[in-house]
Amino acid sequence: MEKQGNEFLEVKNLCVEYTSDKKIVHAVNGISFTMKKGETLAIVGETGAGKTTLAKTIMRILPDPPAKIREGEVWLDGENLLEKPEKEMTEIRGKKVAMIFQDPMTALNPVKTVGSQIVDCYLLHGYSNKDEACKKAKEMLELVGIPVTRFGEYPFQFSGGMKQRVVIAMALACNPELILADEPTTALDVTIQAQVIGLINDLKKQYSASMILITHDLGVVAQTSDRVIVVYAGTVVEAGERNDVFLNPSHPYTKGLFSSLPSMDKKVRRLTPIEGLPADPTNLPSGCPFHPRCPQSTEKCRQGQMPVVELEPGHFCACCNLKHGGTADE
Amino acid sequence: MCRYIIRRLLTMILILVASAFLIFTLLYFTPADPADAQLGISATWAEKEALRETLGLNRPYAVQLGEFMYNTFIKFDFGKSWTYGTPVFGELMTRIPRTLTIGIGAMVINLAIGILMGIFAGVHAGKWQDSLVMCILMVFIACPNFWVALMLVLLFSAKLNLLPAYGIGGYEYYIMPIIASAVAGIAVNARFMRNSIVEVFRADYITTARAKGMKEKLVIYKEMLPNALMPTITNMGRILSGIIAGAPVIESVFSIPGVGNYLLTAINQRDYPTVRACVLFLALCVSLIMLAVDLAYAAIDPRIRAQFSKGGR
Amino acid sequence: MEREKKKVKRTPVWVGVLQGTVRSAGAKIGAILLAIIILACIFAPLIAPYGVNEMQMSERFHGPSLQHIFGTDTVGRDLFTRILYGGRYSLALGFCGAIFSTVVAIFLGCIAGYYGGFVESFIMRILDIISSLPAILLCILISSALGPGFVNTIIALAVSQVPSNVRMMRSQVLIERSQEYLEAAETINCSKARIIFKHMLPNAISPMIICLTMGIGDNIAMAASLSYIGLGVQPPTPEWGALLSDARMHLMSYPYLIIIPGIFIALTVFATNLLGDGLRDALDPKLRK
Repeated sequence: MEKQGNEFLEVKNLCVEYTSDKKIVHAVNGISFTMKKGETLAIVGETGAGKTTLAKTIMRILPDPPAKIREGEVWLDGENLLEKPEKEMTEIRGKKVAMIFQDPMTALNPVKTVGSQIVDCYLLHGYSNKDEACKKAKEMLELVGIPVTRFGEYPFQFSGGMKQRVVIAMALACNPELILADEPTTALDVTIQAQVIGLINDLKKQYSASMILITHDLGVVAQTSDRVIVVYAGTVVEAGERNDVFLNPSHPYTKGLFSSLPSMDKKVRRLTPIEGLPADPTNLPSGCPFHPRCPQSTEKCRQGQMPVVELEPGHFCACCNLKHGGTADE
Repeated sequence: MCRYIIRRLLTMILILVASAFLIFTLLYFTPADPADAQLGISATWAEKEALRETLGLNRPYAVQLGEFMYNTFIKFDFGKSWTYGTPVFGELMTRIPRTLTIGIGAMVINLAIGILMGIFAGVHAGKWQDSLVMCILMVFIACPNFWVALMLVLLFSAKLNLLPAYGIGGYEYYIMPIIASAVAGIAVNARFMRNSIVEVFRADYITTARAKGMKEKLVIYKEMLPNALMPTITNMGRILSGIIAGAPVIESVFSIPGVGNYLLTAINQRDYPTVRACVLFLALCVSLIMLAVDLAYAAIDPRIRAQFSKGGR
Repeated sequence: MEREKKKVKRTPVWVGVLQGTVRSAGAKIGAILLAIIILACIFAPLIAPYGVNEMQMSERFHGPSLQHIFGTDTVGRDLFTRILYGGRYSLALGFCGAIFSTVVAIFLGCIAGYYGGFVESFIMRILDIISSLPAILLCILISSALGPGFVNTIIALAVSQVPSNVRMMRSQVLIERSQEYLEAAETINCSKARIIFKHMLPNAISPMIICLTMGIGDNIAMAASLSYIGLGVQPPTPEWGALLSDARMHLMSYPYLIIIPGIFIALTVFATNLLGDGLRDALDPKLRK
């Protein structure tokens, strides 16, 4: 394989499935995207759309018996991560790519002190001197806004927001080039969410890292991201610059997402939900996975793969009703 | 921590008092007459009555109970054997090391093998290694310990002529009793360990550790093990007390003159002071083990440690 | 409305448990093995080739042969026959002991857990006293106090099992008590007994089913140990432990007398444990592979 373009991260046709009780769960079905260095890419989608699986695939920390990477490539800086031996991967994890987890309540080891869990990151990646690692860890703790006096305390002595700060500190400890933030605010109180998002954003800038932000909170996306990918049932349905997607949502699913948000400036009596249930990943519909719930679905939607239409430069949408005219007929 | 220890010691004493009460009451209301057993069936009514008088068996229940409690817990006097007339305490002291050797030996084997097997099965959960270990453990649990002991005797003494079949002497006399006592506990321990490893395996913090770039071996030993050991340690006390309390059976198979065997002989002769002392001693050993396990647990688990360092609940 | 809701709530639990149990290969093997052993013991008179106490002094200590598939014992009784009949005692000890202790535990556990306060402390303190001695020691002590015999052994087995079972039941009840459906039942003026036995019990009982199954095996093994050390059921009753106790002097010369009954004890305990494990997996999906 020749060296890939100058994209920082390129995911090509990634397919991941889980087997449980003889059923096959198609979690990720041919996701492809690219991102540039320093960018913040938001991946938006419902629960169960395969967002977390995607992130864990990039890190290669999927639990192997149930999960299996069927096909696809993940190119980071010209290296295919999926073909790397495990040993080299351990050096990339935490150092080059780091992950912030969804649920801070369970992401920290309950029997180790918060400090030692951060120190681990340094010891694993380059620091052999324990005192030095401790010093760095303490600085990191300060940086995320936790007083150093709490260095030796255990996770159960911390609140949810504090724990998430620790998780962030762990992720950022070794100046990663790519941060995977997997719904970093979902488990937190609304008031803390803004703080944490702000913190992640600041640190990202400070370290000039790139970030993939996985979320279902469109507000967070609007605040932080440069580009947006909308994922439904393990496939990309729409991708583009933030403003393009926000101002001109084209895929019926994206439109549905936006119309289910309350809006301040329009006077709407009721929110419009997306009808139906999320696609069952063990039994995906043929054609466009969204067609059973799509208000504009036609016979065409049931067959074959959806064509990807470039609406504006860099704004793609996978819908077969888009060919004529820029946006789907209303 | 200090307060915790004191509280645990107090509960231990309470438990011992309770068990002394239980033992005494159970034996007091036993239908069989101790005088019968001591003097044989040929003894006349008058002889028996005289014996009852000297042993103080004609007094009311409450008086006897009070005297027993007073002697045991205030004077630390376990009385004299009705059969031999010798103080029970001395006899116990010569016997207790043998029982404890078997008990402690079994514990060590138990912990080491049980935990290792559990980790092995847990790490390979769902694969054939797991099924194999679990099958072996099922067999371990199913075999009654005295039967395992007999089979060991058949194999190592009768067939291979490697180990002495019964009695006491050098260390080789203790090998089979220790293994026989440990077998069931190993199985329970290993299954516990396996299940907690499986549970911990899926925990988010393990994913976090992997995401930090930790190598798989390190993840298992540094992140999983401390967590997975917690339930195993709590369960440990129960298994160990089972080993000690099972002493009568194992000692009877190997004819080891330990506390358990002493107890069985005394039961047959209706020699109640000896029975009471033996049971209380075994109960004391069990309580001490439980105490040690609880303290170890408190020392390891930061949640409990923190609770008590803040002054206790 | 309320009734309908309950139906919806209850069926899946049981159906799931049943399906899970049937699905697990281990549980299947356990159930079949146990069924075979139980049936063989029930129909012992039909299967057994000899009378249970039929002594043939000329055929003492015959090793396993076509005539006596498991051989004969010290006084020339057919071992296979005695094992079949003995299984009746062993299984009865196991089942009765486990059922007795579980029923008592469910009752006491429900009351202690639901009422709390004085009733709870009273029950729990008494149990604390009983369980101040380890189960095996207590069992030895009770059976030596009551003297040998079938019923006495059942009592000894059951009593020594009760405290741990009650604790488990109580903790289960405590978990259920904080659930909202009980408050809901109280608001529609359900009687206390109805709340406990109709609403709470079905939800709290599943661990007790495991306890019961596991208890059977434990009891059989414990009963055998008791008989072996000369307490519990005594020879010439052909209870499996008593068979072993009977032959203990002949371990070196006639080992089959010890090996074969032991295998039967182990097989039965093995079967109940497999079944119990299957049930546990079905009831606790967390541990399912």
